[in-house]
Amino acid sequence: MKKSMKTLLAASLTAIALLTGCGSSAQTADTTAADSTTATEAAETTTTASTTTEQTTAASSDTSTDASYTVGIAQFANHGSLDNCRNGFIEGLAEEGIVEGVNLTIEYENANADGGTSSQIITNFVAKKADLVCAIATPIAQSAYSICRKNDIPVIFTAVTDPIAAELANPDKTPVGEITGTSDKLPVTEQLAMIREILPDATKIGILYTTSEVNSASTIAEYEAAAPDYGFEIISQGVSSSADIPLATDSLLEKMDVDCLNNLTDNTVVSSLPLILDKAAKKNIPVFGSEVEQVKIGCLASMGLDYVELGKQTGKMAAQVLKGEKKASEISFETIEEASFYYNSKVAENLGITLPESLTSTAKETFDQITE
Amino acid sequence: MTIILGVLEEGLIYAIMALGVYITYKILDFPDLSVDGTFPMGAALTSTLILTGVHPVLTLLLTFLAGAAAGCCTGFIHVKLKVRDLLSGIIVMTALYSVNLRIADGKANQPIFNRDTIFENEFLTRIMPEGLTPYTVVILLFLIVILCKLLLDLYLKTRSGYLLRAVGDNETLVTSLAKDKGKVKIVGLAIANAFAALSGGIYCQQKGFFEITIGTGAIVIGLASVIIGTQLFRHFTAVKATTAVILGSILYKGCVSLAISLGMKANDLKLITAILFLLILVAGNLNGKKGRIHD
Amino acid sequence: MIELKHIEKYYNAGTVNEMCLFKDFNLTVHDQEFISVVGSNGSGKTSLLNLICGTLPLDDGKIVMNGNDITHMPEYKRQRLIGRVYQNPAMGTCPNMTILENMALADNKGKPFNLLPGTNRRRMDYYRTLLSTLGLGLEDKMSVKVGVLSGGQRQAMALLMSTMTPIEFLILDEHTAALDPKTADTIMMLTDKIVKEKKLTTIMVTHNLRYAVEYGNRLYMMHQGHAVLDKAGKEKESLNVDAILSQFNAISIECGN
Repeated sequence: MKKSMKTLLAASLTAIALLTGCGSSAQTADTTAADSTTATEAAETTTTASTTTEQTTAASSDTSTDASYTVGIAQFANHGSLDNCRNGFIEGLAEEGIVEGVNLTIEYENANADGGTSSQIITNFVAKKADLVCAIATPIAQSAYSICRKNDIPVIFTAVTDPIAAELANPDKTPVGEITGTSDKLPVTEQLAMIREILPDATKIGILYTTSEVNSASTIAEYEAAAPDYGFEIISQGVSSSADIPLATDSLLEKMDVDCLNNLTDNTVVSSLPLILDKAAKKNIPVFGSEVEQVKIGCLASMGLDYVELGKQTGKMAAQVLKGEKKASEISFETIEEASFYYNSKVAENLGITLPESLTSTAKETFDQITE
Repeated sequence: MTIILGVLEEGLIYAIMALGVYITYKILDFPDLSVDGTFPMGAALTSTLILTGVHPVLTLLLTFLAGAAAGCCTGFIHVKLKVRDLLSGIIVMTALYSVNLRIADGKANQPIFNRDTIFENEFLTRIMPEGLTPYTVVILLFLIVILCKLLLDLYLKTRSGYLLRAVGDNETLVTSLAKDKGKVKIVGLAIANAFAALSGGIYCQQKGFFEITIGTGAIVIGLASVIIGTQLFRHFTAVKATTAVILGSILYKGCVSLAISLGMKANDLKLITAILFLLILVAGNLNGKKGRIHD
Repeated sequence: MIELKHIEKYYNAGTVNEMCLFKDFNLTVHDQEFISVVGSNGSGKTSLLNLICGTLPLDDGKIVMNGNDITHMPEYKRQRLIGRVYQNPAMGTCPNMTILENMALADNKGKPFNLLPGTNRRRMDYYRTLLSTLGLGLEDKMSVKVGVLSGGQRQAMALLMSTMTPIEFLILDEHTAALDPKTADTIMMLTDKIVKEKKLTTIMVTHNLRYAVEYGNRLYMMHQGHAVLDKAGKEKESLNVDAILSQFNAISIECGN
């Protein structure tokens, strides 16, 4: 019996060690090297890992004089705009002189949209004595706040659409504790104004959203409130999983007879965007995006957020906290005020739509092809 | 230390659900997927009740009852409407998704950060000595889990509990005892889902929010805990099955935590779980004796 | 008393494979009668038991138990007055529960299964005495799981458990068929003892013609859903194995067995 348990333990360690070989962060490699001595099969991974370790230690030893920080970045899901947030965050920190590999160690984990994993990731950061936790997207920001407030670790969030509803900020926008960050609240009125300008005769805007995503529900409410001012009617269609999207799209396009579709930052819907775009293109109906990544892959245009910018802004807030200039509890959460115009000229051509000069001249970025 | 506390917290919370899964999977031999819906239901109900000002302790009781009701639905669908076991679980799980959203007032995420919970209230701050504060959650969870375990152990020793064990062991005998085996199954499913909902409720009170997706994969965690626990400790006759299940849950969370701190990508976590699962099952089979006798 | 009146039972009704098992079948089992039922495979012996117990629904006819029509009573409710032992020893006990727990379970038949302790410690001695009548030494293994016992031991327990509480009818479904000859003899003797002590009305299906002749006070031979031989009392006592064996062979040849 004992023997079998040992084999079992060794085998599972090997499995873990083998798979960790794919991880690229230096810390990973370090621990793996120590652990995999028991599991000889993992020898190959160990060798590659230890070389990485050397490089990083060499890099960080240069700046032993300055204060050095450990930041845990917890991202809720794999998602283009969330990745942009993370990259922007690291850039923002760097602009303030906190550079990864120099005086900054980054622990990055992705929870893959799993609530249970989220809290374990945060606990792990706490154990590694992170100086600050950056949480990307609402559910993981809540997990982070729930755990970090007991361990006196400040939390900086980003890509949280409604921090007040998520109780991560007080109704007067002041922090509820050592937590602050940036919100990716969509510029709803700007988007509506843009659609009106591009499609002067349109009346019905179709929006797909997932019922399980709290941000989508609140954004829909905002659209519904603002739409009449621009002469639109919002037709929203909820889905519970990506499997429902084909039928829901058909229903919007055919039965509801919408003039255009408008996309939110809804994770489930965004992952199925290629399918939606394909269906809409066949009916020659334009789809508007909510951020740059969506325009890149085939939405006509967007008055959207620049998530890299949002990340940068977050990074700068984090730098203030890390340097001790301000406490997180002294900074109110921020939003990006201005929206930027993005459009895809290839899509416009396909649809036979000429975009008004007044818009195209202000475009922050233009795409002339559809990225698959 | 933080890691250990974290693992204990997570492990103990899920242990309550694992006790429920133990009833369905091991005792009743019923693959009950409704747990994926009752776990978040407990959380949804807890957040809503706490927001309306219900006492956190009373909330626990109410979630337990609500879970039992959901379990009865699964049982009713299976026993009275004669739908296959796996399907009745799936039906209830699917239906609960909408029910949970309704319970949480249409919101997929409902925070209760600033409310009193069983883990954070004046009474607790008053009686807990300063030095023990970091351990409050674990101590409380430990007490709750032990209470659940003892109650379950006690129940399994009552006449009704005997019948429950008999129905998983040998349905024919239950009929021979002039008892309706269907009713016994419903009772078992009710208790199992009551534990799952309670577990979800405690999860919500501890994390400070409800999120619709927390139930996804709950049954996998439960099954993993039950299998790890019962397989690893099956030769220790002194360790009761219920204790083994609790230890299994903590071990499972420990493995996940280990994997994360080794830098495992979250993408690979499920694969690790599956491999661990398989290894334990295979090791169990290699050891000869089968745990259950199927005739 | 159990009365079966004008029983009709078809298998695969409404399909091309429709097979008539019973057509206008009648049988009256009187109080304290011990009927041995024999017959070839497929003659309807086990189906007869299943119809009485309610495991199988019948297509037409009536089943009356002690004057009450039980035709539509669910299986489990009928079991209040019936004890049943199956061919498979595993059917009558719970393998993952201990001997003591199994005994306690059987002892609670007819009582509410509530939150009272499952095992009444004060009944321990009673269980021990009962088990010791088996002469298998089970009384010293009260905390052993039944799953590790041999088939014969389990069958003995199953017999004990099914007759522990006051019942009126005992249904034995080839209950010695899966046992070795010696154990089968022991179980058969035990059965006879219990039936006589408790004055039970018994229906025993068996393939063992010797048992059918030696035990019981009525012999009932079935073939294709009806009786070919039905002898009770004095007439039955005068029967011997050879006589019924020749009759048995006659029907078997007819079947092509």
